[in-house]
Amino acid sequence: MATALASARPAEPTSPTFWRTFWANAVLAPRTSLGFMRLDFVLGTVFVIPLTQMVFFAFVVQLGGGGASAIAFTAIGNAVATVSYSSVFTVCQTTDNEKTLGTMEHLLVSPAGRFALYLGRGLIPILISLATVAVGLTYAVLLFGVSIPVATFPGLAVSVVLTAFAMVGFGLLLGGVALYLRTSIILGNIFLFIGLLLSGVNFPLSSLPPALQYLGDALPLTWGLAAIRAAISGSALGPLAVLWAAVAISGIVSIGLSMGLWDFFERRAKATGSIARF
Amino acid sequence: MTMATVVGVRRTRVTAASLRLAFLQFIADPQWLVPSMIAPVIFGLVSYELFRGAGPYFLTYAILGAGMMSMWGQTLYGSGWATGQDREFGTLEPTIQAPAPYLYVVLGRIVWNVVAGLFGGLIVYVVVVVAAGGPPALPNPLAFVLLFLFVMVTLACVGIVFAAAYVYTRFAGFIQNIGEFAFYVGTGCMFPVVLLPFWTNPIALLFPPTWALDALRYVSIPGYVGFGWGWGWDLVGAVATTAIYAGIAGTVFHRVERHVLEVGDLSDY
Amino acid sequence: MSDSPAIEVRDLVRVFESRKGFLFNEVNRTQALKGVDLTVEPGEIFGLLGPNGAGKTTLVKILSTLLLPTSGTARVLGHDVARDADWLRPRIGLVLGGERGVYTRISGRENLRYFADLYGVPPGEREPRIQAVLERVDLASAADRRVEEYSRGMKQKLHIARGILHRPSILFLDEPTIGLDPKSARETRKLVRSLEGDGVTILLTTHYMFEAEELCPRLAVLSKGRIVANDTVDALRHRVGGDRTIEVEAYGFEDREHAALRALPGVSKVASEEFGPRVRLTLRIRTLETTPAHVAALLPGHPELSVRERRTSLEDVYLDLVEEEAT
Repeated sequence: MATALASARPAEPTSPTFWRTFWANAVLAPRTSLGFMRLDFVLGTVFVIPLTQMVFFAFVVQLGGGGASAIAFTAIGNAVATVSYSSVFTVCQTTDNEKTLGTMEHLLVSPAGRFALYLGRGLIPILISLATVAVGLTYAVLLFGVSIPVATFPGLAVSVVLTAFAMVGFGLLLGGVALYLRTSIILGNIFLFIGLLLSGVNFPLSSLPPALQYLGDALPLTWGLAAIRAAISGSALGPLAVLWAAVAISGIVSIGLSMGLWDFFERRAKATGSIARF
Repeated sequence: MTMATVVGVRRTRVTAASLRLAFLQFIADPQWLVPSMIAPVIFGLVSYELFRGAGPYFLTYAILGAGMMSMWGQTLYGSGWATGQDREFGTLEPTIQAPAPYLYVVLGRIVWNVVAGLFGGLIVYVVVVVAAGGPPALPNPLAFVLLFLFVMVTLACVGIVFAAAYVYTRFAGFIQNIGEFAFYVGTGCMFPVVLLPFWTNPIALLFPPTWALDALRYVSIPGYVGFGWGWGWDLVGAVATTAIYAGIAGTVFHRVERHVLEVGDLSDY
Repeated sequence: MSDSPAIEVRDLVRVFESRKGFLFNEVNRTQALKGVDLTVEPGEIFGLLGPNGAGKTTLVKILSTLLLPTSGTARVLGHDVARDADWLRPRIGLVLGGERGVYTRISGRENLRYFADLYGVPPGEREPRIQAVLERVDLASAADRRVEEYSRGMKQKLHIARGILHRPSILFLDEPTIGLDPKSARETRKLVRSLEGDGVTILLTTHYMFEAEELCPRLAVLSKGRIVANDTVDALRHRVGGDRTIEVEAYGFEDREHAALRALPGVSKVASEEFGPRVRLTLRIRTLETTPAHVAALLPGHPELSVRERRTSLEDVYLDLVEEEAT
């Protein structure tokens, strides 16, 4: 039996099923990223980063003469914005790790379906992103005077889930671009922080020049944050549903684009040989 | 090949070689300056926006804070990050195995990162000033420049000690990511430390940049009240704490090197 | 140089600890070296063989001051590796090889300049010595190209160049020809022999038996953290049952035929191996009395019987020793 199993005689080619590829990438692939390898580090991302970032901006607001409402505004904004660490930055960085470890080439020659592969890679980051936002909002309530009525919980939950989904989709999109680049760290860093300026995290988007507002509208974080703020403020279902649709669309578009980019950059990377370069 | 007569390795030569290597690697791939620039530029713009309307000297707060973040990021973490890359590329083992003290290899990188940090600070300045429509008034330019240079020295000294963490553990980069904001908050990068709860102040004063930045604000923001003891004592505190960091750097590196030789994880990343 | 051994290792133990789980809960201990004793004389090329995970690299790292022993002593050039690392490092060359370990974004020459400074090569000698070393490893024409453009073999040559750049008294070569094409591997072996001519003591680890046999008059076999053999190649041949080997192949043998072969004069060992329908018996023979003709005479009636004699190779010796240790 063992001899038969170990045989190298050519077999009928088989391709892994969607779910098998999805599961393998959901469970195994995140572990290639250092941040996901250890539970204590995940807890650091979930519990420490939101707190320190919120404290930082709360004091900046205070120094600038902002009152309680301005501090609450920035607290909610940063509670949600820290989702970028587990979604955008870490997901994007996975591409780098694959290159450094030399596993990217093996991944690209495997017959695994790219869609399942990509979706699978988003699963754990989505869960961590959900936890990050939940913890951040808890800090906002406990430490920064934000009020979240219980009645708003269902709407808030939908907004948070959709935001996590959209942000991870955006991270996957950047990961696709990173396939072609020497490193994804630069891209990851840009989109880790750009939301703080362009997504209405610390001040309303309307304070920015129109050109920057348009740029902000292209980021899933902007729509996710708007939906979360609307849910917390007890917005009616109608306007909230419009924002949900916008968040969902930004996530779906990101994943769709990432698939297309993955295919495009996979070809480019093969042509230029950048797969093995880091 | 005949065996060489063994001569001592000059520390200045090691530092110069390390500086040169850092420069060559930068030239080979200058885009690596970008990651350390992104956060400070964005934080500078966000803070400027949040400070707008609060008073004429708040632009200085935003520029100083973001500029410091750039230089801190580059100097404190850049050098450690280079050691993290040494782990990743497998070059930490041959470097440690060489007879040159690793501390002086790190020192060379720090010097380079000070230069890169200054460049980063300049970019932050230009971006925030363009966004604000003009530069802030600087009441005492000479004192500012001197103190500014001194701040760089304090950062370099803390950077050396921090870099030891990257030799100590391959997880230093991740720990740094988690602790980065805490450091910026704790040392009053964008706002005076006295705004923080009182119990945090003694911790903040363990870091030389806290003192130096307080002194820098005294000379650049009229009416500034930080710790309340004036820029002179700030300077004394900064010099004293910097001396402590410089003094313990050698011991810290020696112990860390001993530790990694015991653990045997120099090639892990 | 003094008359003391170049390398002297006594009862060397190294334990690695790895931690796993949330907040370092689970500690796994692996004993990589379990009381190693070894002596290498000045100026010799000493081979260290062993399967993957036997502890070869661990031993090399301890001897080159990159790892501290858990217990026991290791002395290089008469100095303790744990206590006198500062004294030893300028006198040691280390070639760990592989794809990593060099700065890939700069040129090979710049890599060597950097390490020349770190090793304190006299400034006036730095450039000519780098050029000479590059020529010696046949890398001069690619010296100014970025290392990321190098093939694996070129990187290996760069590793070796760095190892000998500061003219060390003792050189540790950890699998120096792995991944090299046959021509480069041959050149590397030639280089190693020439270093012996310069009086450098070399500790060489390798998986290639012909390489060890060609380069190393003495060698040790490390298996599961222990030295299972330490001698000259000829003495090791004798230890595993003789320097002559006769191989017999047929479609199976009977027990009485096995017994008859074992009873032949000078036969110390008969090993059996199946491959497909055929069976191969390998006889180790200490004396000259037993010949292939004697063996064939004991096996009448076998269709397609094959009997051939060859010299016991180092690979035979190695496999016997490792198998012996495993059982």
